[in-house]
Amino acid sequence: MKLGLAIDLDTCVGCHACATACKQWNTSGTIGPLTDENPYGKDPDGAWLNRIRTYEVDASPHSKTVNMPLSCMHCEDAACVTVCPTGASYKRTEDGIVLIDQDRCMGCNLCAWACPYGAREIDPGSGTMKKCTLCVDRIYDQNLPEDERQPACVITCPTKSRVFGDYDDPESDVSKLNRERGGKQLMPELGYNPVNTYLPPRNPAQRPQGGRMLGKVKQIVNRIIKR
Amino acid sequence: MHPAFSVLIFTVTAGAGYGLLGWLSANELLVMFAMTAAQKITVGIIAMVLISIGLSASTWHLTNPKNAWRAFSRFRTSWLSREMVFALALYPIAGLYAASLAWEWGGLTLWASLSLILSLVIVFVTSMIYASLKTIRQWHTPLVPTLYLLFAALSGGLAFALLLAWQGHETSSLQDFLLLLGLITASVKIGYFIWFRLPSSSTIQTATGFSQHKVGLLDAGHSAPSFLNKEFMFQVEQSKLVRMRWLMFMAAFIAPGLLLTGDGVFGLLAAWLIMMAGLLVERWLFFAEARHVVRLLHGHQQV
Amino acid sequence: MPNASELPQFEDHAKQEHKYTTCYMCACRCGIKVTLEDDKIRFIQGNPNHPVNKGVLCAKGNSGIMKQLSPAKLNQPLLRKPGSERGAAEFEEISWDRALDILTERLAKIRATDPKQLAYFTGRDQMQALTGLWASQFGTINWAAHGGFCSVNMAAAGLYTMGHAFWEFGDPDWDNTKYFMMFGVAEDHASNPIKLGLKKLKERGAKFVAVNPVRTGYQAIADEWLAIKPGTDGIFAMAMIHVLLRDGQIDDEFLIRYTNAPQLVVNTPGQVGDGLLWRDSEGQTQVYDQLTDGFVPANAIDVAPALLGDYNTPDGTPVRTAFSLLYDKYMDAQYSPEEAAKECGIDAETIERMALEMAHVAFQESITVDVEWTDWAGRKQSQFIGRPVSMHAMRGISAHSNGFQTCRALHILQALLGTIDCPGGHLAKPPFPKHIVPPIKPAKGNAPNTPLESAPLGFPTCPEDLVIDEAGQARRIDKAYSWDAPVAAHGLMHMVISNAVAGDPYPIDTLMLFMANMAWNSSMNTAETMDMLRAKDEQGNYKIPFIVTCDAFNSETVAFSDLVLPDTTYLERYDTISMLDRPISEPDAACDSIRSPVIAPDRDVRSWQEVMVEVGSRLKFPAFTNEAGERKYTGYKDFIVNFERAPGVGFLAGWRGENGDQHLRGAPNPKQWEAYEANECFFEHKLDLNQRYFRHANLDYLSLAKDAAWVGSTDQIVIELYSETMQRFRLAGQGLYDGPMPTEERHKERLTTYFDPLPFYYRPLEQQPEDTAEYPFFAVNQRPMFMYHSWDSQNAWLRQIMSQNYLYMQRERALELGIEDFAWAWLESRSGKIRVQVKHMEGVNADTVWTWNAIGKQAGAWGLSEDANEAKQGFLMNHLINELLPARTSAERMTNSDPITGQAAWYDLKVKIYPAAAGEEGSWPQFAPLKPLPGLKMSPRQQGYSSHKNVNLKRTWTDVLGNK
Ligand SMILES: Nc1nc2c(c(=O)[nH]1)N[C@H]1C(S)=C(S)[C@@H](COP(=O)(O)OP(=O)(O)OC[C@H]3O[C@@H](n4cnc5c(=O)[nH]c(N)nc54)[C@H](O)[C@@H]3O)O[C@H]1N2
Ligand SMILES: Nc1nc2c(c(=O)[nH]1)N[C@H]1C(S)=C(S)[C@@H](COP(=O)(O)OP(=O)(O)OC[C@H]3O[C@@H](n4cnc5c(=O)[nH]c(N)nc54)[C@H](O)[C@@H]3O)O[C@H]1N2
Ligand code: SF4
Ligand code: SF4
Ligand code: SF4
Ligand code: SF4
Ligand code: SF4
Ligand SMILES: [Mo]
Repeated sequence: MKLGLAIDLDTCVGCHACATACKQWNTSGTIGPLTDENPYGKDPDGAWLNRIRTYEVDASPHSKTVNMPLSCMHCEDAACVTVCPTGASYKRTEDGIVLIDQDRCMGCNLCAWACPYGAREIDPGSGTMKKCTLCVDRIYDQNLPEDERQPACVITCPTKSRVFGDYDDPESDVSKLNRERGGKQLMPELGYNPVNTYLPPRNPAQRPQGGRMLGKVKQIVNRIIKR
Repeated sequence: MHPAFSVLIFTVTAGAGYGLLGWLSANELLVMFAMTAAQKITVGIIAMVLISIGLSASTWHLTNPKNAWRAFSRFRTSWLSREMVFALALYPIAGLYAASLAWEWGGLTLWASLSLILSLVIVFVTSMIYASLKTIRQWHTPLVPTLYLLFAALSGGLAFALLLAWQGHETSSLQDFLLLLGLITASVKIGYFIWFRLPSSSTIQTATGFSQHKVGLLDAGHSAPSFLNKEFMFQVEQSKLVRMRWLMFMAAFIAPGLLLTGDGVFGLLAAWLIMMAGLLVERWLFFAEARHVVRLLHGHQQV
Repeated sequence: MPNASELPQFEDHAKQEHKYTTCYMCACRCGIKVTLEDDKIRFIQGNPNHPVNKGVLCAKGNSGIMKQLSPAKLNQPLLRKPGSERGAAEFEEISWDRALDILTERLAKIRATDPKQLAYFTGRDQMQALTGLWASQFGTINWAAHGGFCSVNMAAAGLYTMGHAFWEFGDPDWDNTKYFMMFGVAEDHASNPIKLGLKKLKERGAKFVAVNPVRTGYQAIADEWLAIKPGTDGIFAMAMIHVLLRDGQIDDEFLIRYTNAPQLVVNTPGQVGDGLLWRDSEGQTQVYDQLTDGFVPANAIDVAPALLGDYNTPDGTPVRTAFSLLYDKYMDAQYSPEEAAKECGIDAETIERMALEMAHVAFQESITVDVEWTDWAGRKQSQFIGRPVSMHAMRGISAHSNGFQTCRALHILQALLGTIDCPGGHLAKPPFPKHIVPPIKPAKGNAPNTPLESAPLGFPTCPEDLVIDEAGQARRIDKAYSWDAPVAAHGLMHMVISNAVAGDPYPIDTLMLFMANMAWNSSMNTAETMDMLRAKDEQGNYKIPFIVTCDAFNSETVAFSDLVLPDTTYLERYDTISMLDRPISEPDAACDSIRSPVIAPDRDVRSWQEVMVEVGSRLKFPAFTNEAGERKYTGYKDFIVNFERAPGVGFLAGWRGENGDQHLRGAPNPKQWEAYEANECFFEHKLDLNQRYFRHANLDYLSLAKDAAWVGSTDQIVIELYSETMQRFRLAGQGLYDGPMPTEERHKERLTTYFDPLPFYYRPLEQQPEDTAEYPFFAVNQRPMFMYHSWDSQNAWLRQIMSQNYLYMQRERALELGIEDFAWAWLESRSGKIRVQVKHMEGVNADTVWTWNAIGKQAGAWGLSEDANEAKQGFLMNHLINELLPARTSAERMTNSDPITGQAAWYDLKVKIYPAAAGEEGSWPQFAPLKPLPGLKMSPRQQGYSSHKNVNLKRTWTDVLGNK
């Protein structure tokens, strides 16, 4: 299995719901707690596993605003794993999920340096590295109702711009979307082979316009129309 | 990259230590200087002290040091793990080397060879921690291990010369060699700075997937600096970088070079201290000028 | 599947329990499922069965845990320390008994003497059914909720035109619409439904056009973004109307059957009665029947009314069809795309294309729903014809002083395209549509110890309905329903403090605020408002003698209160979202819901609803006591279940009747609450397919609506393109009305100018031509999707997303002015200046600057440290917005509001901007930091929440050593 997300840039409105859902779920999840520093003071900051950035693409007047959520891509060639000296970081063979064993991490930051996507953050409380778990503690928790065995960010996304599934299965939603919408990997040149893909904004079609019937109003409006 | 002071201290001090040990071991094999056992042991201890200071400094930047011992476990893939393993392995070897010197156990050639090889390997492995990162183009080059090895040889060599002079040896030929080595190192460093300017294949376009268009960051999704900002967005003015480069060349090469043309222990001591300061600046620049691709996600056009 | 044995048991579900309730991190009111564990919240997730959010949750809803943990939560009732100054935040903690005694004693005195001395105003609440009832039982006309400064323009324009509205009273038909145009919406109340809906549109390939000076959020995913100049949507809409009329692209069947377009209007300019609908002796409006060539009542069936035409009635009165007036008006060259383009910044070609694209979808891509339904006249129809073009608009339209007329223009556009309440169009949500207008008149007077005769707020249709005294002066403290703002259907909350302090029209004794941050982000002119709250008369008494605030958190307003009553959080209280208030219905279902506490408060707090019932009982309001004068309800829950507004009509519509088997209407059911809880805290009555469209003329629906008491009769709701109500007021302004008329020139002028029965475009009131040169930029705000007004800066997660706001402006314009990216600059309006940090962007109208709303905070408020970014770098635009228009004479205190509805004109602001001097950094003005409240917890330096000890996923040694 090759589990991951497909993220639809055509419909993401940048609402941050997936970011806070992720924070909420995971602070009590296997990677938690997710500590915040100065939560009520100057420059509040904390560990997040998913952050939303907004870009402006192209120059005026053709420019476009694009919201781009970024979390771990669960790369196939994940250097964050190979560089890790303690073995805390690992990629599960079963499904490709990249995880961090909190009891092993020494907080050397090397994996964060190795990650091109800014997906890893040190938790100021535990001093250990944190990252997206693909909600491993939801998707495999047999005690959750079946339809809830999905990542927290996916369940919550109000525009359904996040789709979770198995890229190894050509019939999965993610594989189909990736094919049909021309999904893109970010920074492919680095060779990490990220699993998550981004579905680019669609190009709107030209629309037909109502035929012009110059001067016709006066003729048509007093048609016999029964009330 | 944010230059963590502990890492600067680590690479510079331990680098000099490994260099010094390397020179000592090389001397064992080539007998360039006829040192007494006590002299060798003294030099060796000083090398190991430098190494140990460096290594302990390297743990300061760990945010969860209680797990540092686990860093030995991923020798198979992790350069950092390899560094730990080799660094640890050096201690018994160096100890056996010292013991054979002290109690004339024999096997000096073996221990010295191993010390020399390990010193070189450790410096190489340390450099590979950085050079292996594809995310930081300024580090991802064979020039980085080359420079690490050269700087270790240079700073260790100068320390060696200093200690030899202090022990009463005639060191002018070594000083001449070090001048040459300095020239080579400086040239490689200059070459590195020139190479440095080549554009990287990663741009804000590849980072966002909009390959055809101008892309700019409107919002990072958090208004105060995050871990990523603090770690990767380190930013100093270009003019400061230029000044630091000059300072680096002055301190690491020119001033020690001038001092090396003279003689006397104090001259060498001054040369070595200035060079070490210069190397700290060099390492600071090594970090400060390294631009991680995460910057692209934060709106930088290139790295 | 991975081997289950490799994974630990992630969490102990046996220890967990699930409770359902309704989110109130904002007014969208999504259904939530809360997982609890050891009395701590493990997880808040969307309820997939809930009609509003269908399982999804927004950024705020997902941060409910941090609201519950907020250090700004109030703990106990507070009384301003005797001798301390208002605003200094010096309080003593008092007991609830004492607090309620103080309050009841004061209120009893007011009620027994002059009840209007109590001004009771509520902010972003959803409790208007209760607070409105309470106020009328108290007997004060001085009650309103926040609608007047929020979006009354939208509500009123909708209710006075089509019987429902954009706001919360309707939705686009997300499932069927093929073309969607959205005006001035950043987030809106239907936060999650809009997002779910936009996704549906985009999946179907429907076109989404966003009209907005700023391109973020929703506009970012629009297929086309029109960067309109603020305040000019009216002329844009009217130019599209011009194009449709010019090209004959109109739905004449719709106009004839469902609107007053064919009705005859008296055409006697300059005479009494001009512009009113011509009526027969029975008072019935008339149309001209082309079949019989004669006048017939407008509601006659099987007649063929003429849309265009000028006639003379048998008594010789010249009349014209309303449509003729409309046609002539918008065919005028001033509404041509070319003229409009000059004003609104959208080029003529685009305006024309927009109109014709919509026309194409409406008329060439129409859809049908094949189901038999009964029209208003009892005739069977075999299908609903849908014109799948829909629109939605909110505060980008409403927060301008021309918003009412602009919004009406949008409704006219919809009507011409025939897309009102049809498949694919804009759909009403039960209990809407209502008859135009809802037959509730605002209460006019009050008497000691007597409930009001009607509700404090209502819908005037003529000058007789105004709440003015014999001299024509306002009776209400906010001057709603006066000549200043005759159709102020939601009051003018933004004027209360200013008017009360000025004693204009009179001083009051007590100001009671619930859930409103009036000392800060909800007031215009914030710094001066703070001074007003502190203002004293010559004797040294406060001009507003007593201020009571009910808040759950330490807002800026708390400091300005004499008595502070700490509320519960939304997870701690009993509550209802009633159909008597603002509905959570969906177009195809009537819905309401409850809040049931999921967690017990850890502080000495009470919900305001309980306090209302308690005080109402103590003051012996008839509705809260029995004949013997004894308390009728034990608490709010009891009240919700048992109170009946009319026989069978209560706060909740589901599971009524003694056995709980009646819906919408029925006797109180003692087990109603439990029935709601068993149904995940909501009730949903799905309409049958034949009841879902054309509800203004659908007998199948109207019969149901009448039974449910949503409407008073099953008569057709005739859409009013032509507003006779407006004309009545205009005639009063012209001195041609047979009834109350204004005496002051300024009022005559306003009525004559703005009360046009057909929408027209005018520049926002404060945008005087001479200001345009001096203040070249429009300045507007947007709601951030992850923050609700001022409340979420206390939220440790949400404030990490944004603790500082910037002033955004177009890059090139900024550079022209020498303002670099991230530079500090001065922003100045006619009322003052503030210092802001500028951020460049591309996606903004070049003449517009904007910022996120309500991020700036006063130092020390909201449980934040004094150096918090919100206080030091964040800023409020409110400082620059004046509650009064520039006065032409010193006697004039005219509200900066829509002249028709009194809607606060937040977005009319014009500004100039220039670089700050070197070293001038940080936001300005700065206010003295508020002192910490007694008993408030210190904020932690570090916080890592978890509801249980986290179960770590462990990697085995064999894996560590053995794996590549
Ligand atoms: N997350 C969140 N949700 C909220 C709230 C909140 O604070 N946070 N507040 C709630 C409340 S009380 C309300 S009233 C609603 C308001 O919801 P919205 O209607 O979304 O209100 P605003 O954020 O004021 O958005 C106004 C939009 O109109 C644009 N605009 C300004 N002037 C003009 C104009 O003249 N023409 C056009 N076409 N556009 C213009 C602005 O750029 C902005 O995008 O949201 C509710 N929902
Ligand atoms: N510049 C500018 N100003 C604006 C606007 C704008 O667009 N631009 N928008 C305007 C609009 S549309 C609106 S609706 C207003 C919003 O105006 P308000 O409703 O006054 O603003 P809020 O900030 O929501 O403040 C409400 C208060 O409710 C409190 N509160 C939160 N939860 C609870 C609770 O459970 N119980 C109690 N008792 N109190 C609670 C909060 O602590 C806060 O003090 O702002 C207006 N102000
Ligand atoms: S929740 Fe969905 S729409 Fe919102 S930011 Fe995340 S991906 Fe985008
Ligand atoms: S995104 Fe980063 S953390 Fe995730 S697998 Fe790839 S390299 Fe590792
Ligand atoms: S920070 Fe932790 S997970 Fe990352 S490389 Fe270091 S030890 Fe491994
Ligand atoms: S999959 Fe889970 S951990 Fe990853 S971003 Fe989504 S919510 Fe966060
Ligand atoms: S939109 Fe968000 S905050 Fe508002 S009720 Fe729904 S989930 Fe709660
Ligand atoms: Mo509002």
